[in-house]
This record gives sequence, structure tokens and C-alpha cells, in this order.
Amino acid sequence: MAFYTLGLTFNLVILLTVIVLAVWIYGIYFNFKKWGLGSTGYHDQLRNSFWLFLATWIHEAFKDGLWVFLRTVVLDVLLLRRTLARSPVRWVMHMSMFYGFLMLAALSGLGLMVDIVEHFDSIFGLAHEAEMVKELMALPFDIFGYLLLIGSTIAVSRRILLKFVRDNTSAYDAFLIGAVFLITVTGFYAEWMRGNAFLLGNLFESPIYAPHFALIHTVMALGLFAFVLPWSKYIHVIATPMTLIGNRGGE
Amino acid sequence: MANNKESKPLLSGFMLSTQLMEVDGCNRCQECMKWCPTFAVRPDRPGITPMYKNARWRELMAKSHSLRAKVFGAKPLNDDEMKQFTDDTYSCTTCGVCGTVCEAGIKTVELWEAMRPNLVKRGDGPVGKQSFFPKLVKADRNPYQAKQEERLCWVPKDIKIPESGEIVYFAGCTAAYRQQALGVATVRILDKLGVPFAMLGKDEWCCASAMVRTGQREVMAEHAVHNVDALKDAGAKTVLFACAGCIRNSAIDWPKWYEGYIPYKNVPLSVFLREKIRKGEVEYKIPLNYSVTYHDPCHNGRHLMHEMGKDWAFEASRDCIQSIPGVKFRDMVRNRALQRCCGAGGGVKAGIPDLALDCAKARVKDGEEVSAEIMASTCPFCRRNIMDGRNDAKSSIKVLDVVELMAASMGLDTTIPENPYTKFQEQDVLVCGPSTCKLDTVERKEPGKDLVGEAH
Repeated sequence: MAFYTLGLTFNLVILLTVIVLAVWIYGIYFNFKKWGLGSTGYHDQLRNSFWLFLATWIHEAFKDGLWVFLRTVVLDVLLLRRTLARSPVRWVMHMSMFYGFLMLAALSGLGLMVDIVEHFDSIFGLAHEAEMVKELMALPFDIFGYLLLIGSTIAVSRRILLKFVRDNTSAYDAFLIGAVFLITVTGFYAEWMRGNAFLLGNLFESPIYAPHFALIHTVMALGLFAFVLPWSKYIHVIATPMTLIGNRGGE
Repeated sequence: MANNKESKPLLSGFMLSTQLMEVDGCNRCQECMKWCPTFAVRPDRPGITPMYKNARWRELMAKSHSLRAKVFGAKPLNDDEMKQFTDDTYSCTTCGVCGTVCEAGIKTVELWEAMRPNLVKRGDGPVGKQSFFPKLVKADRNPYQAKQEERLCWVPKDIKIPESGEIVYFAGCTAAYRQQALGVATVRILDKLGVPFAMLGKDEWCCASAMVRTGQREVMAEHAVHNVDALKDAGAKTVLFACAGCIRNSAIDWPKWYEGYIPYKNVPLSVFLREKIRKGEVEYKIPLNYSVTYHDPCHNGRHLMHEMGKDWAFEASRDCIQSIPGVKFRDMVRNRALQRCCGAGGGVKAGIPDLALDCAKARVKDGEEVSAEIMASTCPFCRRNIMDGRNDAKSSIKVLDVVELMAASMGLDTTIPENPYTKFQEQDVLVCGPSTCKLDTVERKEPGKDLVGEAH
């Protein structure tokens, strides 16, 4: 519970989590409402509605039936078939980043749940089990962390080394890829400062500053997640899979 | 005027709400930039590529609909940025290769065609001579200022064509008035094969493809409804098309405007003829000893491959060409779903002719790389534009329609009867004797009074 030594209390962390989630959810709602400025059919009237956007998207997604919907989700969204068809290197990069990011986010969520269970030990009486789960989570955290690191390293390298890619990289692209790379690296370094460096043991151990660094990492990750992603072009993280599903895999 | 436009926000009403989402779905992977035919010839203008167009649309929309705009008020759009965006949006041939390679699965053709009416409504588009399309088509029902009563003036006198029947050949305006060699070859083959086909004559109106492509939809409804009703009244069960633009519109666009049941099937002529070849009904007499390549038109290739299947979209024409004795067939490096657009589509030929010409020259170069003597296609607009590119590049490649190659090899008389539009004909032809055919070019005798080029 070193995390709570910087003036942060459990209640404060929960409150901040709720705020972050609320901002994120409002951001998604805001985008859906913006997309609702379009029509629902080729020459339909404008409705300007959040709900009708959702209805239109669901209609499009299931237009060819449940089987096509499921096939699209598996092949195009989860396995990134279209990316593989164009560039195996980019596919490895996207798969690493996609699953690395997704699983780390899921594990972080699970970690928070476990924290809650541990905090309310008087109610649940599962503190011991919670500690065991935390220990079990260490390995997947490492695996998916390295996966994200591999993906973001390929992404940064492509932008730097390939001339065509570099020439068409905007500040937006650089910021997103740079931010993901930085968050990944700070996450690793925070772990190393706790004395958990893979193959390196306690080489970078620094118990005093480890919580500070972990906090910086967390703030950056949550900041990107809630205060940048839904409010910028990075909404593509949500819009791209929705487009693939809505277009039933695309052309 | 400028101030008035400045006060208007970007309009989005012609776009589906899911298309607005698609704009945000672009993950800037840059794949489209590698394939875009217009960017290939305008590498100094990345703004014309899909990735940049999406980014620009997003920025323009954000001026009125972002969180900042909600809190602090919308920013006005200025003329310069709207002009730039309009130029970029109209510098697209709507060929759709970007959609084929898009990692995010964005249906780009539909997206560009939905963006353009918003620009037209706001007063920014269309560009160049594209604005003539609706006026011409509304006045004459074709874009060539020709008389509807003379739609069939090119049909050889010995061929009798009824006005109704189960099989209807929809020739299209260009075959009727500007590339009559295609029309003559088609009716000769159908007649030789004993196919009982009808034609609509003066009731055949322009398919209105150019209007849809350039965002000028107002004439579309009238033409779509008229043509579908005319085909239904003629008793059509199968409608044959030798024009890529017409079949795309008939298969994809007309049904969006027609509310009733459409009882007939749209069939590319090459598919119909391939069936006849497979049944052994086509008898070739003269070998064509030429190396031939095939240019896949976007409109009946990529645009239709999901409607009709890749076999119909890409293989039928190739099968027809390869059935001709003597032909040495070679595909260009970029073919089928990844072919390079000739540059004529999306209104570019009429709106930005120099861009269309440069794209055509790039396609001619593709043909030269495989040492093709003939570039065959199934689209009169591709043919016109590639011929222009060929002339400008001073290449020796000849450009013909697949049907004309077949008719020549079958030994059919494809002489165009004298008619009021003979003087406007300009096309490569095969002049055949009893045992051999030679390539030739028919020069246009009069410049004509065309306000827009023969291209959609």
C-alpha cells in the first residue's frame, strides 16, 4: 500500500477513479452526439440524436446478420485482418499495442477491485485471497507490459527511421505515439524502482521515490485515457473498431 | 458572398451518422497514401489523400462542434480554408482504392460522395466544368447536348431492335454519341449470337453518374426513377451494360432513389458474353496477334466487387480477352482490386482535366511496362482519358473496348453508319480484312460543342 503514502488515501483514489471514468464516459457520449449530426439513411432527415446514432450503428453492424457481425469482431477487430493483409510489421506493432494496452487496462481495473476488496476486509474477509490475486497478477502485468513496449518501440522506430512515414507524421501522431511510449517506459521504471526488474533484480531499486514515480506514471496514463483520448483525434481508438463493425469489415 | 459563406458552419447533413464516425475512425496509418492515384501524380499535395481529407474535415467540424466550441462559441470558417478543402476533396477520382486498403475499413467512396453534396449546398463545390452537368442533363437528358430521338442513330440498318423484351441493352450516352464503335460492336455481337435484345431508344436517359460523383444530387432522383420505370415498362429481366459508369449507377445508386421493386438483374456485358463463350456459341474467325492488357475500371471493378463478386467484377473481362485467338494477355502490375485509376472518375476529367491527364499518363506507363500494344477496358470514360494520356505521352498503346476486340475477331462488320454524330467520333479501332486485323485511330473531324469531357 505504498501507493497511499503520498497523501493519497483510499477514498481519494476511488474519488479520482470515479472522476476519470465520468470524464471518459462523457467524452464518449459527446462524440456519439457529434456523430449523431449525420443522417440515419441515404436521404433521410437530420435527427441530431445520440440515440439515433447508436441505432444507426447497430442497424449497420447487424445488417448482414449475427454471423457476419461475429466474424467481423473476431477477424477484423480482434485479429486485425485488414492490417495483416497490408503489412505484417504493422500488424505485429498494432497487435502488440492493442493487446498490451487492453490487457494492462483490464489488469489495472482488476487491481483496483482487489484493492477495494482488501480495503473492506471487515466486510468481505478476503484480504489474504486478495494478496494472492495480486501476486498472480504480477506475471501477466510483465508479459503485457513487454508486449506494449515492443509495439510502441516499433511504432516510434517506424516514425523515425522510415522516410515516407516520417514525412507524413504530424504533431498529433508524434504526441500520441510519444505519450504511449513514455507511459510504457515510466511504468517499467516504476516497477524497477520497486525492485522488481526482470532479469535485473533490484539494480534500480529506490523505495523512497518509487511511489512518486508510480504516481507520475498513473497520472499520465489516466490523463491520456480520460482527458486526451475522447477529446482529440485519438478517439480513433474507439471509432476504428466501431467503423470496422459498422461497415461489417469494410470493402 | 464571402461573408455570407463565412457565417455558415460546415454542413454534415448528407453524411450518415456512421460516416461521421468513420472520419474519426481514420487511424492515420498512411496506407491510402501509397495507393492514391492522384497523390501519385501530385506528391506535393498530401492534402488530397484520404488521411489528410479526414483530418481536415475533423478540424473544420471541430470549429463548430468541439468541446471548445460548445464552451467558448463556434469559430467561423474562412474562405481560404474552405477553398483548399474543396479543391482537395474534388481532386479525388472516387476510385475507391483507399477503401480497399484502409485498415479501419472506411467505405471511402461513399464517404467522399457524401461529403461533396455538403460542399455543394454550402456553395463551395463543385469545381470547374462540373457545374454544367446538371444543367446539360436536365435540358437534354444526356451530357452531350445531343437529341434523345437520335439515341439509336448509330445502329446498323440491318439490325432491328425492339423497344421491349426480357433482355435490354442499356448503351449509355457515350456509346450512343461519342464512342459509337462500342455500341456497334455490341449490337453486332448480340445479333450474331441470336440474342433477342431490346433497347430503350429515346427513353434511355443519362444514368446521372456524374451528378452523384460530384455531389450534385438534384437531377439524380428524376433520372433514376425514369430509367428504372422505362426498363420495367420494357419488360426487362436482364439489363446488359457495356459501360462501367452506367452499371455502377444502375446497381448501386438507382436503387437508393427508387422506392418500388426492381425486377431485373444488372449484368456486365462481359459476363453475358463469357457465358456464351463457355457454351461454345462464340465463333472466332480472325486471330488478333497483339499483346493485350486489361485496365479494370473502378466503377465495375472495385465498386461492384461486393455487389456482384470478384469473378464478375474482375475475371469475366479477362476471360473474354483470353478467349480471343492470337491474343497474348499480360496483366499490369497493379490490377483487379488494387488497380490504378485512369483519373477520369469522380468528375475529375471535367473539373480538373490536367490532373486526369497526369493520372492517365501514369496508367499508360503501367501498360508500357508490360509491353502491351492494346490496353483493353470496359469503360468508355477510362478509354477516353487513357487515350488522352496516351496522346500526351506520345505512346503507341491503343485503347479499345473488350467488346470491340471480340467483334473484330469474330469477323463482324463494325462500320458505324453515317449519322449526325459521326464527325465527333474519335477512337482507336481494329480494321479487319478476311484474315487479319490492323490497329488504327479514327480522328475527330469536328471539335464538337461538348461543354464537359467524355468522362464521369
